[in-house]
Amino acid sequence: MNYNFEEILETIKMTEIEHFDIRTVTLGISLRDCIDRNVEVSKQKIYDKILRYGSNHIKFAEEVEANYGISIANKRVSITPISIPFDSYKTEEFVEIAKVLDKAAGEIGVDYLAGFSALVQKGFTNGELEMINSIPYALAETKRITSSVNVASTKAGINMDAVNLMAEKVKQTAELTKDNDSIGCAKLVVFANIPEDNPFVAGAFHGVTEHEVVLNVGISGPGVVLDAIKSAGNVDMQQLAETIKKTVFKTTRAGELLGRKVAEKHGIPFGIIDISLAPTPAEGDSIGDILVAMGLEDVGAHGTTAALAMLNDAVKKAGLMASSSVGGMSGAFIPVSEDQGMIDAVERGNLSIEKLEAMTSVCSVGLDMIAVPGDTPASTIAGIIADECAIGVINDKTTSVRIIPAHGKSVGDSVDYGGLLGLAPIMAVRNLSSDKFVNRGGRIPAPMRSLTN
Amino acid sequence: MNVSEEKIREITLAAIKELGDNATQENVKEVVERTIKNLGDTIPDSQTTSDQIILTSFGLNQPGVVAAITTALSKVNCDISDLSQKLMGDFFTMIMIVDISNSDLSLSEIQNEMKMISDSMNIKIMLQHEEIFRSMHRI
Repeated sequence: MNYNFEEILETIKMTEIEHFDIRTVTLGISLRDCIDRNVEVSKQKIYDKILRYGSNHIKFAEEVEANYGISIANKRVSITPISIPFDSYKTEEFVEIAKVLDKAAGEIGVDYLAGFSALVQKGFTNGELEMINSIPYALAETKRITSSVNVASTKAGINMDAVNLMAEKVKQTAELTKDNDSIGCAKLVVFANIPEDNPFVAGAFHGVTEHEVVLNVGISGPGVVLDAIKSAGNVDMQQLAETIKKTVFKTTRAGELLGRKVAEKHGIPFGIIDISLAPTPAEGDSIGDILVAMGLEDVGAHGTTAALAMLNDAVKKAGLMASSSVGGMSGAFIPVSEDQGMIDAVERGNLSIEKLEAMTSVCSVGLDMIAVPGDTPASTIAGIIADECAIGVINDKTTSVRIIPAHGKSVGDSVDYGGLLGLAPIMAVRNLSSDKFVNRGGRIPAPMRSLTN
Repeated sequence: MNVSEEKIREITLAAIKELGDNATQENVKEVVERTIKNLGDTIPDSQTTSDQIILTSFGLNQPGVVAAITTALSKVNCDISDLSQKLMGDFFTMIMIVDISNSDLSLSEIQNEMKMISDSMNIKIMLQHEEIFRSMHRI
């Protein structure tokens, strides 16, 4: 036999017991050719194009799932940052575009369509301002649309005007979706150094340098890594890193194979595989649990940042060995509400925003799915965004903020969205004012890249 | 069915060749429908119908487990190229490498056949394309 018993059973164990699945296959579609002076014509073009390329997306993914016995949890679509092709439009027209995108996404059966986005790290065009102003309304009036705005980069610095504007938009989105626990904010991410090929919602979009249509894949697998660490026992750090690498190597290979097969069925190019460990609220599918299995009493203990740094680095090394198409975020996600281990740590009072912020300096994303009191001032949210951007810009990495100032809630309450978005306990923020600092506006200059101490 | 631009061009050329200047709405419709129908016959099913499949089965040991699976496989023209089995206490584990390239059924249809056996005997049967094991365990 070409394979021995143990190898085959290892794969079966990963898929059947340890929740190994492919998190998402994301179909990237360029909408740059869909612009027309008449918004009705543009809407028709957008709808037709998404249906033309996306109609079989679910079917193809399900065929591949069946062939390989590995489930693909989500099938999604990403589009060109919407502010780019439709730069001549006004706020109301952007809301119309969001609605037609929502309708098209519903028609082809995907749960999220990402790319209601703008890239404003240096400055705004008139269209980008109109588009950003439309975000709260677009998120309030649609179900499947997610939005992201890049406000900083290592090359451009931090656009503080954009940071302040986004803080206001986050507050406004919370207000407009207050009847549903401010769920709009769970679909809005503010970025620094946003990647152009990320398949993971809510930050996904189809970059302007990409193919016409492309298929990107994001793997999952915290459960597999957790079990590997547990069975490794009390080994030293190098052996632990080795264990993580061996496991992630296999999940990456499986992910790339499935992604390529789905792309083959579509007849489109395969883009990248994002090897991020993406948790879900399901039992055992948690980054928090991995950190505890590594030896911490709970997430938030001193040493958490070191453990996460090692985990993230091992994941990257294994993924790069396994595939030549690694892209996107490719690290470890630490969204609070989507990870049972993190939720428990917050509820036990062991994990604070400050510790999470430190963790984001070594993980793949940022302050993700964090609920804060509804009366948090916009300037404080702007301060939080600015801090994250600074970490990203100085360390030349992606960071993001997906924060939910839950309307009418305070510390001790929680917001529960169910499903993948999970449950977020409201976390305390500092009551000190950031107002005068952030409202200076302008742009924090791009950092120097030498003397990096 | 997926129709590529090339196919659309082929259909259009067929219509032009047949009708020339005599094209009317009705006869164009007729020619296009006929050409698409013919094309449909030549476009292969998108399901994988070849290659090696790995069948893994486990559950409580009972008489006739191997017989039930192998009989069902042979009925649909699947060739078993390797088989290994282990007993661990009351439980059995069986792994087979199956060549389904001669079968008329697609992998998903064979999976459905196996589902009937796994339901009636209360065991677990999984069929996966061999590529997944190759990609995970071979560099």
